[in-house]
Amino acid sequence: MEALKFLLGVFLPYLALLVFVGGMLYRLARWKKLASPPMTLYPAPPDEAGNLKNLLKETLFFKSLFHGDRWLWVLAWLFHVVLALIFVGHFRVFTNVDAIFMKMGMSEQAILAMSGGAGGAAGVIILVTAIVLLVRRLVVQRAREITSVADYFALALIGLIVFTGDIMRFSSEHFDLSDTRSYFAGLATFSNVAGDPLLDNGVFLLHMTLALLLFMYIPFSKILHLGGFFFTHQLIRKN
Amino acid sequence: MKPEEMKEKVVSSIKAIEKAPRSMQMYMEICAKCGTCASVCPIYFGKPEKRYNPAERSDLVRRIYKRYCTMSGRLLGSLAGAQDFDPGKMQEWVEMFYECTGCRRCASFCPFGIDNSVITRKGRAVADQLGLTPKTMLKVIQVSLATGNTDNASPAAFKAAIEFLEEEMEEEHGGTKIKIPVDVVGAEYFYVPPSGDVLVNPEATMGVAKVFHVLGMQDRWTMSSKCFDGANYGLFTGDDKSMKADNKAYVEEARRLGVKVMLMGECGHAHRIMKMMMEKGRWWGDLPFSIINCMEWTAQQIEAGRLQFDKSKNAQPVTYHDPCNFGRSCGIVDEPRKIMEASCADFREMYPNRAENWCCGGGGGLSAMDEIKEFRMEVSGKKKLAQIRETGATYVATACSNCKRQLTQLMEHHGLEIEVGGVHDMLSRAILVDGKAAERVSYD
Repeated sequence: MEALKFLLGVFLPYLALLVFVGGMLYRLARWKKLASPPMTLYPAPPDEAGNLKNLLKETLFFKSLFHGDRWLWVLAWLFHVVLALIFVGHFRVFTNVDAIFMKMGMSEQAILAMSGGAGGAAGVIILVTAIVLLVRRLVVQRAREITSVADYFALALIGLIVFTGDIMRFSSEHFDLSDTRSYFAGLATFSNVAGDPLLDNGVFLLHMTLALLLFMYIPFSKILHLGGFFFTHQLIRKN
Repeated sequence: MKPEEMKEKVVSSIKAIEKAPRSMQMYMEICAKCGTCASVCPIYFGKPEKRYNPAERSDLVRRIYKRYCTMSGRLLGSLAGAQDFDPGKMQEWVEMFYECTGCRRCASFCPFGIDNSVITRKGRAVADQLGLTPKTMLKVIQVSLATGNTDNASPAAFKAAIEFLEEEMEEEHGGTKIKIPVDVVGAEYFYVPPSGDVLVNPEATMGVAKVFHVLGMQDRWTMSSKCFDGANYGLFTGDDKSMKADNKAYVEEARRLGVKVMLMGECGHAHRIMKMMMEKGRWWGDLPFSIINCMEWTAQQIEAGRLQFDKSKNAQPVTYHDPCNFGRSCGIVDEPRKIMEASCADFREMYPNRAENWCCGGGGGLSAMDEIKEFRMEVSGKKKLAQIRETGATYVATACSNCKRQLTQLMEHHGLEIEVGGVHDMLSRAILVDGKAAERVSYD
């Protein structure tokens, strides 16, 4: 048991960080190196400023998908926006960002209400959209017939991460963020966290392990669109 | 060819994706399999089956790429979406890649901007390396490289056709001589149509000649008796070498003639290769001439008020089909409309149009393949047929010989009395020469 806790709670976080950062840099460097003959698709913005604006629209609003498949757009947009919100929200888990909010004039209660309200809603919305996206894959023919194990795996992995996260958020047992903050502070300062009591929390350990697996999976899977997205739109919209 | 040899060739061709281009490699790696491409694809609209799903077609290449070029694919196999090449499926491979019209509509709506036509072209290039390009396509390329045009016409035959057109115009305009200059060294404009616009549907070329005549520029342009066909099927078969060889002859001819402007005709892929690929990609370095399309040029003259029309000559309801290569790939969408609106009394749009237009179903060279006519009529052309019907038009203008052939067959096959022609064709029927429009003789 101690070995497992060391493996997942001490070794894996560093490994995941290395694999994710290294993997993404490797991909970006490879893409950047490759020749890219002109392949403009119209309507193409006439200049760099227009190009940037178009990329922002794609990034923030999924412009192409909005025009292509409205139902999928609703699901995909909600899913990604909430995912981004949850990602940002997790900074409260890692470290004490509450101080920043307080400097901005928020009371401790207001911060807790925001976290409970927005964070709680996000936890529900993302679980629901993930499930609906899965159902869509199973039901909508044009998606089902091109879906492979890898596609189900990615969705299931994210679903499980969300589910275990929701358990911690919504369980009656109080989850104290000061525990996670001291644990991640330990990791960040390369202190020995092997004996941290947080690692006795099975749900937390599972949640974090799955999340770290996801991060390591990204550079080697279709979730690579996280970084690829910015390049591919530029390829066809560059005038 | 032995299966092992075939496999080796296919695999090495797909491994080359690791070297270039950027788009290809990224498309192999980031497709999320969401199915949006299928919902906007004319083929999948015509027949919603797995085989016609763009992501499935692209996966033929993607699976092999993953098997040989990604760590996850090598280690996890099908769990990571990887699969080895099966030589027994090569025939199906060729058929499937010639069931995509390369219209790029998927790229317009894909959340990542994945352009499946790039993958289709790669799939065809793989087939080409194995000598499996459909014979009809191969023949067009061979003829074009040997004669400079896809119709196997000699310079003498071309000159005879031009003389005939000049006689026609003289007759149409009560004895006014409207010239089509040929092989004039030192001319400013070098008109490069598809050969079909000289030999099959020559009204477009007559229209261009009339514009020059009305402007008083009848001595400032020329055609070439060696290079009168911009069509270039290397784009369709994925054979870069043929595509560049075919293209080079035209650039050299323009240099020889000493022209200032290469005036591309109503041929989408020819304009795309010349303007978007050759010029932008600097295949032959600096060019002593600019490249514009005859529709851009004529639209400019109309805007400047230099051309007058008798719209009553084109009284019937007319619609315009945006060729994918002009709309999506070159951004030429307003110009044909300016010409149509100036020369037609009842111009109607079909929807969606411009860059979002649906393909005619004959793009990517499919139009020339009679062996898949049934597929073109019943599957790939289905959406276009419905779109055209909705407009109520009795004339469909389009600026592409491939679209014209597909649409003409589509109308015949489905028993519709709808004429198909070009943009300058309509201009030719309505433009005023010495204050009078053509007294048109029937060409049927």
